[in-house]
Amino acid sequence: MSSYNMVKQEFIKKWITTLHILDCSVEHPLNVTERKNAIKLSSDIAMAAARSSSTVWSRALISRSGNKTANKPMARRVLKKARNRMKNRCLTLRRNGNFTAKSGVRRRTELLKRLVPGGELIENKDYLIRETLDYIVYLRAQVDVMRTVAAVDSVTGNLTNDNN
Amino acid sequence: MSNRRSRQSSRASRISDDQMIDLVGKLRQFLPEIRERRRSEKVSASKVLQETCNYIRNLHREVDNLSDRLSQLLDSVDEDSPEAAVIRSLLM
Repeated sequence: MSSYNMVKQEFIKKWITTLHILDCSVEHPLNVTERKNAIKLSSDIAMAAARSSSTVWSRALISRSGNKTANKPMARRVLKKARNRMKNRCLTLRRNGNFTAKSGVRRRTELLKRLVPGGELIENKDYLIRETLDYIVYLRAQVDVMRTVAAVDSVTGNLTNDNN
Repeated sequence: MSNRRSRQSSRASRISDDQMIDLVGKLRQFLPEIRERRRSEKVSASKVLQETCNYIRNLHREVDNLSDRLSQLLDSVDEDSPEAAVIRSLLM
């Protein structure tokens, strides 16, 4: 199995878990928007959990997601371990008050930092690039899996037609 | 390796050439626009960063749209249909 397929496998496993946990901790019935937010939240947590805590982006994403589940004690339990790991690691955050992005590279690097979770905490450019590449792989896997699940409608639609 | 370290310690605000070549090589798998360029052609750091940012933004948008679709799917699905059974076993 290719390493990309393994990433997807890991994501699927984690997603099923987070969906169950979130499902148990929310008030049913959900409206369409609430369900969408639950799906998206569980998907993001699953993506980060699939990566484990060895990258900045995965820890930042879990920490960020933790704030969205403030009222859901079960989900918080899942995140608790990962969030503590985040707090215990010291990442230097330096801000220059007079900073203005002059060159295109500088400006676009700042944009990239905002797109990658935890990117603003990374000062070393090399580190940022490595985190970005890693994050992209997992983001792709998340999209591919969600797309496959969303397509199940058309697949099973064909099956029911055949049975008639 | 030590060359790279001394370059980084000079507090350059721009990404070094080595890092750029490395980044482009790896991104090539994911960004079709870059894949089409020939290896020897120089790619500007700014362009690569821009395409990377656009790519990530598009992926974020897709996740959002797919979450919408999945939510609507679950809403519109018949309790007893085969779709419901599949989705239920996967998601619920």
